[in-house]
Amino acid sequence: MERELELARHVVDLAIRAGAHEAEASYTVSQRFSTEARGDLIAKLEQSVSRQLGLRVFRSHAKATLATTDLSEEGLLGFVGEVVDAARFAEGDVYGGLPDALPPDASDAGLFMYAQDVSERPARAKMGDALELESIARAIDSRIVNSGGSRVADSTQLTALANSNGLAAAYRTSHASIVAAPIAVDGAAKVAGSYRAASRSYATLEAVGAVASKAARRALGMLGARKPATMKCAVIFERDVAAAVLADIFNAISAENVAAGNSFLSDRIGERVGSDRVTIVDDGRLPFCLGTSPFDAEGVPTGRHVVLDRGTLRTFLYDTYYARKLGSASTGNASAGGIGPNNFYLEPGERSLEDLVAATARGVLVMDTIGFSTEYVTGTYSRGARGYYVENGEIAYPIDEFTVAGNLTGMLAAVDAVANDLAFDQTIVSPSFRVAEMTVSGT
Amino acid sequence: MQRIERLPANPRAMQPDAQVFERVLTRALGSGDYADAFYERRVTRSFRLQDGRIREAAIAVSSGVGIRVISGERTGYAYSEDLSERALLETTRVAALIASNGADAREVALPARPERAAQMYGPSVPERLRAEPATYVDLLTRVDVAARAADPRVRTVNATCADQLQEVVIATSDGRYISDVRPLVSLAVQCFALGKERGSGYCGDGGRTSIDVFLERSPEQIAREAARVACVNCDAVETPAGEFDVVVGAGSGGVLLHEAVGHGLEGDFNRQGTSLYSGRVGERVASELVTICDDGDIPCERGSLAVDDEGTPGQHKVLVENGILRGYMHDRLNARLMGTSSTGSGRRESFRSLPQPRMCNTYMPGGGSTVDEIVGSVKRGIFAASFAGGQVEISKGDFVFMLGEGYLIEDGKLTSPIRGASLVGNGPDAMNRVVMVGNDSRLAPRSYTCGKAGQFVPVGVGMPTIKLEKLTVGGSSLGA
Repeated sequence: MERELELARHVVDLAIRAGAHEAEASYTVSQRFSTEARGDLIAKLEQSVSRQLGLRVFRSHAKATLATTDLSEEGLLGFVGEVVDAARFAEGDVYGGLPDALPPDASDAGLFMYAQDVSERPARAKMGDALELESIARAIDSRIVNSGGSRVADSTQLTALANSNGLAAAYRTSHASIVAAPIAVDGAAKVAGSYRAASRSYATLEAVGAVASKAARRALGMLGARKPATMKCAVIFERDVAAAVLADIFNAISAENVAAGNSFLSDRIGERVGSDRVTIVDDGRLPFCLGTSPFDAEGVPTGRHVVLDRGTLRTFLYDTYYARKLGSASTGNASAGGIGPNNFYLEPGERSLEDLVAATARGVLVMDTIGFSTEYVTGTYSRGARGYYVENGEIAYPIDEFTVAGNLTGMLAAVDAVANDLAFDQTIVSPSFRVAEMTVSGT
Repeated sequence: MQRIERLPANPRAMQPDAQVFERVLTRALGSGDYADAFYERRVTRSFRLQDGRIREAAIAVSSGVGIRVISGERTGYAYSEDLSERALLETTRVAALIASNGADAREVALPARPERAAQMYGPSVPERLRAEPATYVDLLTRVDVAARAADPRVRTVNATCADQLQEVVIATSDGRYISDVRPLVSLAVQCFALGKERGSGYCGDGGRTSIDVFLERSPEQIAREAARVACVNCDAVETPAGEFDVVVGAGSGGVLLHEAVGHGLEGDFNRQGTSLYSGRVGERVASELVTICDDGDIPCERGSLAVDDEGTPGQHKVLVENGILRGYMHDRLNARLMGTSSTGSGRRESFRSLPQPRMCNTYMPGGGSTVDEIVGSVKRGIFAASFAGGQVEISKGDFVFMLGEGYLIEDGKLTSPIRGASLVGNGPDAMNRVVMVGNDSRLAPRSYTCGKAGQFVPVGVGMPTIKLEKLTVGGSSLGA
């Protein structure tokens, strides 16, 4: 890692010599692999090594950034000079700049972010896995006759970070994922289902057979879906769609949106904004988890922050700039693009998803949502959805072509049950949960 | 293994020349039926305005070569940011791993220099467009002033101005050797206003042309539009839930075509039989009032391309004509496997990605009704004035699209604005519900980006005002 750090330090020096008052450079080297099978054919095989340099410079607190893959000496000199010059056109404020002090302990001991098996597993074995995802899914039911492709993908990445305050640190991560996307056909109806598993290591990844059969069941389960009636009822978000709701909550918690007035949670620190079932945490130091790193994009050590504590809003999530601006401390959530999650999750409950369904007199179990626009400023939420109609504690029939709508404030307050099926297969994750009442719009 | 090397001695990351491409493609073709190389150098400069000042300047440089080897239905791909011949030959070896048909090596021959694609990005684009930082600062400052002056309820103005120049060279094993220089500028404004409630409004414009586009489409116009929508949304009421007649406004209503029909007509899904439109050319898939085109060759639009990312010229395609499905959009791979020709729809996000069949600018030509006739015909319904975006599930064809600005229609008149609504439907079903088409077809402001399998490319959409009978409106109010 010394040589990668050396390049990062070299670029910091170039920026300071070009007139920057402060500079921070990150250098990432990633090795990426992906393969896709369709039927009994390996349709795609992609492999590359990618190098990228990121630079942030400050000139009288005014900021400019560079992201470049042109690492030639002249390319670096030219663009570093240009970005330092461009900072003159930005207008700084006293909050702009690098973090004040060196991180006391950014050790990655015990975080288990890197597994050797990701780069060691032979390509042939990964292609075999992709083919097996296809064949297992198709063997489950004669109505599975096609697929959107089964994929096995992995990457390893080295991140080196240096700044003009003397920071120089690096760490390595690995990532492996498999996804199956079978299509069930019944007469003229075509229904796709997909399931994805991801982990730091192939050894800890969910088995190929389980992934293929879960995906197949998702597709088969939706055959014969109908449009539900328009109604108010309980809505259970299965864990993948629950995670998408958490992603909306994350955006409202991000200090950048809070400072811009683009959050329904602005000015509500210390207030009760959710039910007592709602405890939301951002933790960058959970071993093996995909959002774990020793420090954030500014070199600030990650930590554990309880964002909502049994419904009470405790903190927003900050990088250095917004922490200073809003009078707080960085929570170690700086990312290359602004403020990002570490492992951001809803604390699980005691009961299974099946128990939640069994305890629901009338409602919908949402398995997939489409659409992505949430008005964070008001918390207005509306998504296209598909899933199951639940009646008297049982799954009655599949439903699709409907929406679930409400308001994130109201949804947080109405969470009345949280399941125990939390899994850290993304950076923002959630167990399944139930909202006591939302609007389902269908016929 | 990761490693670091000393900085290369070559003075600049120069594009490879014809001889290097010939050696790369000859090696690639040793094991495949077809190979191509895609060189890209893209420089994006942007400035961001927040809290009334320029908060950040940013430069992004992306340069590298992607090498693809195709053997039957198999595709191998690898890319390199290191443009030395040694690195490119190694990248070729990796890309060619998938294909091993043992075919005899064939020498690939290219012209000495790439042919320059026809110019279509507006007359004012200089060979190397690069605006001065002061130009961006001026545009953004004018946005801030105009948005705040538009209405006292405007509290926050965020804006980004970006200008990008993408140089590409495409070299193929069948001897095609083409270059293109593509500009792309954008000015995006988001306002938040505080009235009875909070409201947000967005407007963006630009196109594949020079920053001079903002002489015609002024930053003040864009800022005032974002401010107007934010203030309208301050007074918005909860959207009703249930089935309603929906009038979709001209311009950004084209998002409906993009989602409900367009994606389903992309060649890959149809070759693989995963789209609900697979095998249905010549069949009725929409009301006879519906005609849908996709054009790659409209000057300066975001989705336009002199040549696509496989070197095929951008084209005008009729996808649906009077309700009848006429054809799909193809890249080279899917066209060849389906026994047809590329429609100039092979696009990729960057040299790091494989081409996919994609839309360019998707729109519906005008029909016979006036807007007043259309709105006047609705007793109780929704007017969807503009769309923030949309999404579709390809196999069954269910789509959703999200309103940026919408109103209730009561007794043939627009009344209250509505908040944060989405509309859901099924592609062919919704297109069969089109009962009126307006005479006001136009392209939306140039601000849309389409995502597919993780790749994002700029696109255009357009539409006249249309009326759909009984679409599901995803609001939260169950009133009346």
